[in-house]
Amino acid sequence: MRLDLEGTSGTSRKKPGVRGSRIRPIGITRAASQMAMRCLAVLCLLGIPAVACAQSEPLDFDNIKPVPVFSAGVGFITAFQGGTPNLDPLVSPVILVPLGQNWLIESRDTFESDLAPPPDGIGYKGVLEKEVDYLQVDYIANPYLTVTVGRFLTPFGIFNERLYPIWIRDLQSDPLILPIATGPSGAQTGAMLRGGFSITPRVEMNYATYFSTLSTINRIDSDRDAGFRTGLFFPGPRVEIGGSFQHLLQDDHSNAFGFHFEWQPPSTSLDLRAEYARSHNGSGYWIEPAYKLTNAPIWRHELRHVQLVGRMQQFFTGTVVDDDLPVLNTNMFEFGMNYYFRDDIRFVSSYGRQFATGGNENVWTLGLTYRVALPLGHGDVQ
Amino acid sequence: MTARRYVTCGILTLAMALFLTAGALAGNDRSGTANAPATATTAAASGKQDEAALRIEGERRFRANCGRCHQAPHKFPPRMMATIIRHMRVRATLTDEDMRLILQYMTQ
Repeated sequence: MRLDLEGTSGTSRKKPGVRGSRIRPIGITRAASQMAMRCLAVLCLLGIPAVACAQSEPLDFDNIKPVPVFSAGVGFITAFQGGTPNLDPLVSPVILVPLGQNWLIESRDTFESDLAPPPDGIGYKGVLEKEVDYLQVDYIANPYLTVTVGRFLTPFGIFNERLYPIWIRDLQSDPLILPIATGPSGAQTGAMLRGGFSITPRVEMNYATYFSTLSTINRIDSDRDAGFRTGLFFPGPRVEIGGSFQHLLQDDHSNAFGFHFEWQPPSTSLDLRAEYARSHNGSGYWIEPAYKLTNAPIWRHELRHVQLVGRMQQFFTGTVVDDDLPVLNTNMFEFGMNYYFRDDIRFVSSYGRQFATGGNENVWTLGLTYRVALPLGHGDVQ
Repeated sequence: MTARRYVTCGILTLAMALFLTAGALAGNDRSGTANAPATATTAAASGKQDEAALRIEGERRFRANCGRCHQAPHKFPPRMMATIIRHMRVRATLTDEDMRLILQYMTQ
């Protein structure tokens, strides 16, 4: 029935054109009309191959000339810890400069401020903190090896290197064990060898091994140490398990080690991550499930932008006190909800309760995060 | 009292983790993406996959590697994406094959 109706309407739309009754009254002869039709046909014959050629021409992916890229993570987080409000604006620009087919210069800096009420309680005050997160030169030597020189993020565990940017992390607070082996800056200055490759079609291996030199220069400080991280990734179930080790080559020559686990089931929007780390400064773990409500039974259109996050963590003090780690045994539970306006803009919120022998306190966070990425040149293939 | 609160919170966390895990096992919203790759992987090994199979495999590699840490971004221009994928090859220790397939997927 529907086909009949469409056919009828199509015929009726063609009738005026076929008869030409609406063309002749304005003074155009039949010969002119035929000439116009021929010209149109010729143009179509000339144009169709050109369009078809343009659409079917494949990109040569091995020879795309990369262009420098500017990216940045921007955020404004309001945190209430123990009833004290803190305003944390943050900008973290990233510059990527590719050279040739195998080289890449990349850097990330962080500019942030922790604005808190002064003792007199009037207004908010703070200082602008600047940090060079990394400034490194990468050389992709072969499919199995990349050589990195400069200041790089310490490849210990998964949070520091993969999940730290403000627009990536699901909860805005740092895990308690983050400073173990990564220190306050999370970066080292030296050289690193790293890579990833398939062992079998079902197993991939990644590794990173590094040596860092002692640097006391402000904003690029680092310890003298050596370490490695390796992981096995199973693409089928999307599971990664791995371990990290670091040996300090100065002072007390201590060791630190850790394990990490990631699971993202292919059948749903769950992310489950966990880390354990131990050194003479302390030990602890965190477990963080995050679930995006893409398959909610109700209000699916609205809820598919919502992500629920939880994190449970424990920290146990070690034999040597570290200023960046809690000084007392601490347990913490956090629950958060994020709303993705787009893939690059989101509202973040969380509530946590920290339990320590010195006292308990609530930790609230509210904020907005944004990620921008721009090509510094023509992004399209010419 | 503190210990009791902590235990309560711990139980709540574990309950939430179990709930989410159960949801993960019961969910099926990504099953289509998960089932397709078996065919695509075989095709990749034989070197005879067509463009559609490459795209499916590229999407699978993208979700398996990039999606582990962050949400899927909108697609970028080819030359920009070539730089980003090189950056992610270093940062996320992508394999050479992952890099090529993801680049192709993200520029189509």
